[in-house]
Amino acid sequence: MLKVELKRKLLDFSLNVAFSVDGETLGILGPSGSGKTMTLLCIAGLIRPDSGFIQLNDRVLLDSSHKVNLPSKARNVGLVFQNYALFPHLTAGENIAYGIRNRSRQEVSQRVQVLIEKMGLDGLQQRYPRELSSGQQQRVAVARALAPEPEILLLDEPFSALDSLTKEQLEMQILDLRQFYKGNIILVTHDLAEAYRLSSRIAVYESGGIIQCDNKAKLIASPANLTVAKITGFRNLLLGTINEITDSHISILVPELGTLKAVRYKHSRLLSGMSVTIGISPEYVKITNHPGENTVYGSLSRIVEEIRGYRCFFQLNSAQNTVYQLDAVISKSDKNIIPTLGSKVHIHLPPEYLVVITH
Amino acid sequence: MNEYLAPLWISLKTVLATTAITFILGIAAARWMSRYTGKLKPVIDGAFILPLVLPPTVVGFGLLLLMGKHGWIGKFLALFHTTVVFSWPATVITAAVMSFPLMYMTTRGAFEQVDKNIEDAARTLGASEWRVLYSVTLPMAWPGVVAGTILSFARSLGEFGATLMLAGNIPGKTTTIPVAIYFAIQDGDMKQAVYLMVIVFCIAFASLAALAYLKKPKPRTRGVPVNAAPTDILYAGRKKDNPS
Repeated sequence: MLKVELKRKLLDFSLNVAFSVDGETLGILGPSGSGKTMTLLCIAGLIRPDSGFIQLNDRVLLDSSHKVNLPSKARNVGLVFQNYALFPHLTAGENIAYGIRNRSRQEVSQRVQVLIEKMGLDGLQQRYPRELSSGQQQRVAVARALAPEPEILLLDEPFSALDSLTKEQLEMQILDLRQFYKGNIILVTHDLAEAYRLSSRIAVYESGGIIQCDNKAKLIASPANLTVAKITGFRNLLLGTINEITDSHISILVPELGTLKAVRYKHSRLLSGMSVTIGISPEYVKITNHPGENTVYGSLSRIVEEIRGYRCFFQLNSAQNTVYQLDAVISKSDKNIIPTLGSKVHIHLPPEYLVVITH
Repeated sequence: MNEYLAPLWISLKTVLATTAITFILGIAAARWMSRYTGKLKPVIDGAFILPLVLPPTVVGFGLLLLMGKHGWIGKFLALFHTTVVFSWPATVITAAVMSFPLMYMTTRGAFEQVDKNIEDAARTLGASEWRVLYSVTLPMAWPGVVAGTILSFARSLGEFGATLMLAGNIPGKTTTIPVAIYFAIQDGDMKQAVYLMVIVFCIAFASLAALAYLKKPKPRTRGVPVNAAPTDILYAGRKKDNPS
């Protein structure tokens, strides 16, 4: 269990966050320069916040109101740096052994051997960091951080310097970590997909604050505001006003397009008359042949071929100057349903995937 | 013969003591200043390097004023019925003051090149500040530390002006090689002067060779980025070829 409350003034903004982690993996997601790394450094005791409180299991690491500030060496926090920060003058094995203290020589080499096997580093123990690939270096860095059996593992953009194939393999390795490391993990990243795969909860950072911290599925299903919606991949954002709320549905009137229905989730705090933005991920936008509920009419203006599908951009009919654009992803197997460029089609926006975002 | 060898023994004793002192003080000062961020940084930094810029006689005269009968340190030492002026320790003090800036500058440069994240990594792994210094910072900055040590060793071997001011020329007691050569020539004793000159030449050459050897990464540290910047001082004005 980790409880964190931090305040620190920085040049352009101030960091002001509070969150907790309970034996799970928390993803911290946000653009660069939003205070993600700063948060990790504060937890590790390498930077002192102006004020704050950090509790790790039953120990208070930092309590500015009671002048408690444990030094880094006494915090028992494992940190994997973005550039790994391996000791260049020590071998992989010596790097891993560095943090194991108060053990006999034999116990140390046993522990190193266990970590070498678990991280898939067999045969590389005698190599210096320079002689390892970046993927191997990263695994050494993780093994080194885990060696002293830390109560929390902090990963600072662990995959940013790797090619996509290595990244995929290492992500699996981090997921496998869970089989033998039961402590807390905080993963800092700017990649939503990565955060989603590796963590159970996600905290979205923006200029030093958390704008939403939720279970990952909930974060995607109901983003707290427009910024979160944009970060979590919603494109087709339409402005509207709520005109009716029933037990199961919310009806939103979008000027010139008509009324669209969205499934109502329990947690929503929406009121009739509120002005909202609705959004839908491009994957859920469907092309149909007939008009119907939640269907809009538009012309196909552009097709972009991607690796696994086609991205279709539709221009929606509007009487006045407002131009709405809808963005749909059609899988390669459905290629035949894509109309010719410029033709008019009906586009279905399934209510279960329409997300209502308050302002 | 003993008369001929006396300056050599005195110089060797002085140089070894001086190198040991500057090694420790230089590393301590370099480590302190490489993280000190206060307003006084340029002032302290300047004070540490000053002896390198001042004429040796000025430094020697300053030390003489400080340590003489009426100086602060001189008065303090008088309380214990002792004085350093015109004694062997004076040769060590002057040589240490004159060679300290070289050790300090070179080592500080090497420390500042060490990636702070790597030192921080050691801290999160439970290392004390002392362990960070000897197990991470020093090994990573080692080429620079070696260069600084040999430069200050060479500087203290050649120390003349300040030594003459504070330690004088007392044969068998404070007469170091450079001082002995100067007075041998004045006395017309060319044999002694040439003899000592050859010795100094050999020591200087050996220390430069040692520098070239120690600067090379040892097999144990194979593959480590060679920290070339701190030794740039040896190549001042010349284009340095690519390290490693």
